[in-house]
Amino acid sequence: MVATALFGLAAAAVGAIAPPRARVRLSVALTLAACACGFAVAADVLAKGGAAAVHTNQLLPLLGLSLRLDRLGALFVAVSAGVGLCAIVFRLGYKGHGLSSRTGSCVLPLFVTTLLLVPAASAVGTFMFLWELMAVTSLVLVLADHRARDEVNRAGQWYAVMTQFGAAVLLLALVLLAQRAGSQSFAVIAAHGPHLAPWVRSTAFVLAVVGFASKAGAVPLHVWLPRAHPEAPGPVSALMSTAMVNLGIYGIIRVGDTLLGGGPAWWWLLVMGVGGLSALFGALHSSTSTDLKRLLAYSTTDNVGLILLGVGASGLFAATGHRPLALVALVASLLHLVFHAVFKGSLFLSASSLQQATGLRNLDQLGGLIKRLPLSAPVFIVAGLAICALPPLCGFVSEWLLLQSLLHGLPSGDTAIEVAMPLGVAVLALTGGLTAATFVKAIGIGLLGQARSDDAARASEVPATMWGGAGLLALLCVVFGVAPGLVLPAVVDAARSGLGYGTAHPIAQGWSVGLTGVRGMLAPGLLALGLVVAVLLVAGVRQLAQRGAVRRTEAWGCGREVQTARMQYTATSFAEPLTRVFDDVLDPTHDLDVSHSAESRYYVESAAFHTTTHDAFETRGYRPLATTLAWWGRQARRVPNGSVHRYLAFGLAALVVVLVLVG
Amino acid sequence: MGKGTIRQIVRRLGQRPDHLDAPANAEGAVSEAARRNRGSLQLRHVDAGSCNGCELEIASCFSPTYDAERFGIRLEASPRHADGLLVTGPVTHNMADPLRKTYEAVPKPAVVVSVGDCARDCGVFRGAYGVAGSVADMVPVDVEIPGCPPEPEAIIAALQNLSGR
Repeated sequence: MVATALFGLAAAAVGAIAPPRARVRLSVALTLAACACGFAVAADVLAKGGAAAVHTNQLLPLLGLSLRLDRLGALFVAVSAGVGLCAIVFRLGYKGHGLSSRTGSCVLPLFVTTLLLVPAASAVGTFMFLWELMAVTSLVLVLADHRARDEVNRAGQWYAVMTQFGAAVLLLALVLLAQRAGSQSFAVIAAHGPHLAPWVRSTAFVLAVVGFASKAGAVPLHVWLPRAHPEAPGPVSALMSTAMVNLGIYGIIRVGDTLLGGGPAWWWLLVMGVGGLSALFGALHSSTSTDLKRLLAYSTTDNVGLILLGVGASGLFAATGHRPLALVALVASLLHLVFHAVFKGSLFLSASSLQQATGLRNLDQLGGLIKRLPLSAPVFIVAGLAICALPPLCGFVSEWLLLQSLLHGLPSGDTAIEVAMPLGVAVLALTGGLTAATFVKAIGIGLLGQARSDDAARASEVPATMWGGAGLLALLCVVFGVAPGLVLPAVVDAARSGLGYGTAHPIAQGWSVGLTGVRGMLAPGLLALGLVVAVLLVAGVRQLAQRGAVRRTEAWGCGREVQTARMQYTATSFAEPLTRVFDDVLDPTHDLDVSHSAESRYYVESAAFHTTTHDAFETRGYRPLATTLAWWGRQARRVPNGSVHRYLAFGLAALVVVLVLVG
Repeated sequence: MGKGTIRQIVRRLGQRPDHLDAPANAEGAVSEAARRNRGSLQLRHVDAGSCNGCELEIASCFSPTYDAERFGIRLEASPRHADGLLVTGPVTHNMADPLRKTYEAVPKPAVVVSVGDCARDCGVFRGAYGVAGSVADMVPVDVEIPGCPPEPEAIIAALQNLSGR
């Protein structure tokens, strides 16, 4: 762990001082070493149990630095390290976006290092220090391209405000716990946590959920996410959308399950509610987004929602005394978290490849990329199918487990569970369908068909490090989908360490995934084999049944003489029915500009159609809030009007108030 | 003289009496198509520049009075789903390419039926500045139905030969 930190700091130092030519390679090599060390430590902890601990009083003034990696933290470190390795390899080929500048090369390693160290923090001071370092470094990286585009600045502002709000709330929660428990060490807080006064526990938990949910991008604190993630440079957006949002989930599990030792049912119904709302809202917005990276960012909100749904279900089961189910639900949501990091990392990286190859992010201008990017495009497709939870890819296994854990809660006899679980299943089903529509759109419009713009037509394949970095994660999608037994034991151990109880092998025997305590069995390997056989059979039957040669002709365009690529289905038109059905939530505005010919109004010179959807939370919640705050700010400015007399009066008044209060 | 006969005489008033010869390969192609279609004939209609007289007659073919669908004959919206084309009118310059493209879009083997005198030899529009030629100049024609416009009975009789029902 010390090696991780040292390599990370060395990488940052090299990035800051090395000459430009050596800068990128040296800092990348050192960051890779940091990730490898982090992964090794995490794997060791997960395999052997126990914990790796470091404590020093010197590094941070007054607080000291204490790190202790248990199995729950180790799972998150391993995920961050894995995604970090691929993202850093990807970064070698990634051009522009200010990442190669001195600032970029210095801050990126720092960001990766904090992602690796946050789950190891074992005291409030250390945790908040690393948490804030992570927030600040990611903010700097989001702003890497601030000179080129104005949106970057606005995204940075949103992100800065939301992340600082979250950190402040979090600080309140943790300080409250530390003060009541009498120590800032997590171990002491965990020992006292279950015995604190209920109002302290509840206040701390709710504040912590608010703080961590803002980092995880859960509704209604998600507004920064669809702005900041798309504007961040490719590798950074992949890290933010996987490793960093994961840490928000980590925080909720750490505070709720480990430090407070579980709590009443309404805590977890709150978490489930936030999760369900995030899942639906994210899925809905990602299905109607036309900006590829914005689509992925909303899909992160969607998946974070599903993970929170599992975490909430787990807490609810624990609160009502269904311990085996609590473990299964937590395993399912942690497994989904791991797999989400794998496929979303791959999606964000390959989306950045597409962006670098074409210079475009708007799906309505892409198309036909599978012919021009024969390596990056299939990587995107594999990861896209994984996120749709299609077998034999990894998303299927985790969503199946999640569904099983929710369904098996039904005959429990507890009213809260019997109301919450069917709703959870409905959310899972609806988001599943919307996600499928989203990625049919992203793949069908973005990669298939014909190029809708000159830039898309001129695209050429990106460097090997880029498709390689994304491809490695896509490969993992397949491997984990066929053999989830490779990661399940580690996830089960992490979940047990989080909950503090549970049998050693509730899940996973060889090639199949079974659950003890509840019925349900899945053999992803056999499923994959069956799928391959079925595909071969269908292809064979088709081959045999085909009569005569295949004749290829132009697509039928009602006999039009000239057919252009612009006449294809677009992402906007694909999403139009959904936009229409959900117009209460999406709040779409349509703009049709028609200019008529000067001679006659019967002839149309040109027509332009714009449609945009709005984030209801932003337009109805944050905008009015910001307007009100700005109004108060303007009013407050009248008070200090430059008059010395008035300032003297203020001073006197303040003195009187202080004297009255103290006296 | 019954009421129906009078109606038929009125209907035939504007019709050219001379009947042109059927295309050379017609017999073979028609029996082949009838065998292939097995009582179901899906046609895409192309108006290549007609005065809409033939369209009126085609429309009445599918009206309750004549009900061509009894014989398995249907008009289809997409050439991709069609067994052939039903073409009317002299082929104008603007419709020459769309006609060829539509023919291309029909799965082969396809039948082409030209309806009316204009489709056969451009009729009264022959030599007009906007006319590119007859249907047979653009795509291979299997069946020609004479008349200006042809009666629904004639159209249905010709199509019945193709549908085999």
